[in-house]
Parts: sequence; C-alpha cells; structure tokens
Amino acid sequence: MTEHLAAKRVTAPAGTPAISVRNLHLSFGARVLLEDASFDVHRGQIVVLLGGSGSGKSSLMKTIIGLHRPTGGDVLIDGESLFQADAAGKVRLQRKLGVMYQGGALFGSLNVLANVRFPLDRFTQLTLEQKNLAVRMLLHELEMDGTETLMPAELSGGMLKRVGIARAMALGCDILLLDEPSAGLDPVTAADLDRTILALRSEFAVTFLIVSHDLQSIFAIADRAIMLDGHARGVIADGVPAFLRDQSSDARVHRFFNRQPDSLRASGER
Amino acid sequence: MDTDASLTLRLEGRITAQTAPPIWKAAIEQIEGHPLRPVLVDASRLEFVDNVGLAMLFDLIRRERAPGAKVEVRALAPDLAAILQRYVPGDFAVAGSGLHSMGLLEQVGRATERQAGYLVELLGFVAACARALFRSQERQVSTWRDALDIATEAGANAVPIVLLIGFLMGVIIAFELGQVARQFGAVIFVVDGVGSAVLRELGALMTAVVVAGRTGAAFAAQLGSQKVNEELDALATFGLDPIEFLVLPRLLAMVVVVPLLTVLADFVGLCGGVLVLMTFDVTYLQFYTELLGAVKASDLLLGLVKAACYGLTIAAVGCHQGLATGAGATAVGQSATRAVVSSIVLIIVIDGFFAVLTS
Repeated sequence: MTEHLAAKRVTAPAGTPAISVRNLHLSFGARVLLEDASFDVHRGQIVVLLGGSGSGKSSLMKTIIGLHRPTGGDVLIDGESLFQADAAGKVRLQRKLGVMYQGGALFGSLNVLANVRFPLDRFTQLTLEQKNLAVRMLLHELEMDGTETLMPAELSGGMLKRVGIARAMALGCDILLLDEPSAGLDPVTAADLDRTILALRSEFAVTFLIVSHDLQSIFAIADRAIMLDGHARGVIADGVPAFLRDQSSDARVHRFFNRQPDSLRASGER
Repeated sequence: MDTDASLTLRLEGRITAQTAPPIWKAAIEQIEGHPLRPVLVDASRLEFVDNVGLAMLFDLIRRERAPGAKVEVRALAPDLAAILQRYVPGDFAVAGSGLHSMGLLEQVGRATERQAGYLVELLGFVAACARALFRSQERQVSTWRDALDIATEAGANAVPIVLLIGFLMGVIIAFELGQVARQFGAVIFVVDGVGSAVLRELGALMTAVVVAGRTGAAFAAQLGSQKVNEELDALATFGLDPIEFLVLPRLLAMVVVVPLLTVLADFVGLCGGVLVLMTFDVTYLQFYTELLGAVKASDLLLGLVKAACYGLTIAAVGCHQGLATGAGATAVGQSATRAVVSSIVLIIVIDGFFAVLTS
C-alpha cells in the first residue's frame, strides 16, 4: 500500500540568483551612498560584503531586506522584484530571507526556545510539540543544546549570534543575511561560528550574504567578496578573496586585504 | 484488502515550515493507524527539505513501534540522511516545557509558600538595613545628606499629586456620607466620619499608594539598572556596602517623608470635607467644633505612625526588588512592577494589622 504525501512545488528556474542587486541607487537626503551597484548572489554561495566605515554596507543590507526603499534600481529575490511587488508579495519575498542582526536582536522577554520558535508560531500551522522538536533539532545543529530555557540576557555574545542564526533559519529560510557575525567575538568563538556557517551551507544548502570586516573569517569562509567604497559610491571589487588580496590592481582593495594603513595613500601609491 | 505487508509513504516536493503541517499530520495518522506494519518512507521524490521537514522525518522514525514494524526512511539525499543519522530516537524524548499541570490546591500551596518566603526574605533585608544603620555611625553625615536629596525628590516633588488626591478623597467621602446622613437629619455627624476616616486611615493610605507608585517603582528601577550595569559590583570593589550606601538613605528618607506628606493629605482632605459640607448647610465653625470633639490627637498620631511604617515598607520593597533584579532590560521593568504591587499589598496588610491592634 502506498500513500502519496505531496507538497506543492514552487521553485525558481535553476540558475536564478538567490539575491540580485540591479543598478541600485541609494541616498539619504543629499547624501548619496551608492550610485550604481549591481551584483548577484547565487544559490549555495557564501558572499561577503565588505568595505570601510560609511561605505554603505549596512544600508545596502537593509535595502536588500526591504527596510529601506532605494532611490533607483531594484533588488530581486529568486528572480522576483522586491520593490515592484505589492505589499503581500513583498512580505512573501522578505520571508525567504533570514536575518541575523549584529547583537542577535533576540526578544529579551522570551527564552531561547520561544525566540527561535517565534516565526514558527506566527507563520505556520504546526502543533506546539512539532515546533518544539524542530527548534530543538535546529539548536542542536547550531551546538546550542541545553540552552532552551535560558533568557537572552544570560547568553554570551557568541551564543546570542547562534540563537540569532537559529531564529533566522527557523522558517526554513535558505538565504541568510548576517550582519557582522564575528564582531565582538574572541578568535576561537569566531572560528567556531565560521565552522557553523560552512556546515549550514553544506548540510542545509543555505546561501549566505555576510557583512564582515574580519579578514581571517573572510578568507576562511567566503567564496566571493564584494567590496564597496564610500568615495566610489559603489562596488569596486568582486571576486575570490585570496585572488583580490594577491592579484588586485586596485590600491584600495589591496590595502584592505593586506591590512595596510590608509597613510600609504599619502606616499604616492595611488 | 491489501496483501502487501508494508506501508509506503511517498513524500514529494518541498517540505518546509509552510508546507509541512498537513503532510506531517497525515503521515503520523498513517503510521499510528498501522501499528503492526513496517512503514517505508520513500523520500526519492523530495525536492527540498528544510529544518522543519527534517524535524518531521525524525519525528516519524523516532516513534516506538512493535518489533518488525519499524519506520524507515529510504532514498533520502545523502547529506540529509547524514544529519538524520546523528539523532537517536531517544533525543528530545523529554521534550516539552518541563511543566506538569498543577491542581488548584497545589497552586495555592506553592503561591503561599512563595509569598511566605518573600516576606521572610524582606524581613531579613530590613534587619540587614538596621544593622547597617548602626554600623555606619561614622559615615552618618553622608548618609543623611543622601537621604535629604532623596527626600527632596520623593517628597517635595510629590506634594502636588498628594494634595490633589487628598483633597478629592475628602470631598468624595464627605459627599457620600452626606447623602446618606441627610436622609436621617444627621449631617453634622458626617464631620465625625470624615475626620476619623481621613486622619486614621485614608490620609496615610492614599499617600502611601501614591508614593509606592511614584517612588517605590523609581527605587526599584534605579537600583535595578545600577545592578544591570554592574555599578553595584563597582561599589562592592571599593569596599562599599550597597545596603549602607544606596538603601539606607532611601529608607531613612521615606520614613520621614511619607508622614510629612500624610500631614498635608490629612489637611487638604479635611478642607475638601468642609467645602462639601458647606453645601449641606454645615458652617465652617460647626465643622471645626464638631471635629475637635470627634477626633483626638491620638488619631492623627496613629495615622502618622502608620505612614512611617508604610514609608519603610515602600522603600524596603523597592530597594529589595531593585537589588534582586535579574539580567537584562526587561528585568528592570519587572522589578519596578513587582515593587509597586508588593508594596501596595503589604501596605494594605499592615493597615489591617493596625486596625485590629488599635480597635
């Protein structure tokens, strides 16, 4: 006897980028942050967005999430436009993205289990038992067993970020945006988190777009690095991190990847 | 009747948090509905499984079944199968919140135990404060100077609200009693009622409630955020006792300030009574003479002694909750709420004791 239990198939055509930023123009009042930024993030990639302070990384990330409206251009999620969609369509697209904010942004009044379960409570018809099982397995994957009943205030920085990732993933999001995952972590914890990111990519086929400054982490995990520059107001480099470090002819990129101070600019390198 | 001994569940498509619920439910029903048959879960046509789908697969295979009636997942993508293999059926078996439902009696019992424990803790805290008071003789000047600052903030700034509440309270009581007394031609005795109620009970009580909401909550929030910001730890590393340095001035200030505010509330309460009774044709002079005959100095004193006790309670509860604050921003809010609720409840209880003792 065979019972068919089929879920509907909704997949974007193969090869469609998970995130596609098209000719993005971003400004706040008179201040122009990005003039014509374009890049794609393909499925299964770990892409790092980097650049100096004020280069517009965080604003770009918030635009991709749909929190800022760009002054020009568009963002496509799985081939669908985020900013031309109606309100319901925009929410549907946003729900494909999981976001981990710098400090985890966990809800302080909920414990770890309830924090990770929150999106499941809101958007699924699962029973409490089913949700709890899914959350516990997810926490296990992130090596956070036994923390279910702890409150966010009782967690360390690295744990906060892990729970933040778990919450971002809870709804089955396979595109994760991480804002400075290694900021404020000791080297060992940061390396652990890198390992987790790689594991999630290989086991759950998660696509990552990561804002980061941490060179060690970038070289360890990133398939691609996209570098923004505040003066150029756009993307100045896009490629494999090690290649950019060793081969880039752009002085700004070279300096960034080799951790050289900006004062070299004065010594006529440019 | 199907002769095939095994049941096959063929899963298709994308199983995600959104699509899983009906499939999960149907699969469980099938598995539970055939307790004696082996079940094959055919995953060959699955396109994608997210964490919820994975939890579903695990939930299907972890069930306890009769021997020979195992649930088995076939043809799962190797990486997913690898994840699933890391779990054994016993994992998360004690899942759930760990709460067991309590009967009414047990709930009442536990709540009573908690409250009794809290009272004992609070008494211990007050005792520690008293010890600190005697220990801090040499530093008394600074303690009293701090107390004065706190008294200004908690006292002088509370005067308008205490005046307003006290006045309205006198007006309301006089009006309510007057309505009834007029039917019996006994309006003049309303003066006795108002005088006794305001001086013995309500002046102190209403002042205490106002101060509990205003200052008790503030104490809890101040000390709570100091604790959250590790300021208390910083004090301790200087060898300063938080009780002596932060709590004692607040206790002293409140023991003085609440009776003072009560005097004001008593006064304006009686003024409110006079105003209302004038509309009932009781003159000011009649009111005055009747009042002097009706209340004694001991009534006023009783009110003030109560007020001092209320002040002590409010400060002790507020500071105790502040020092007991947990971690995080929400904990400060919880402490402030608990401080107000606990102190108002305790004030009413203490009032009850006074009523019994002085009757």
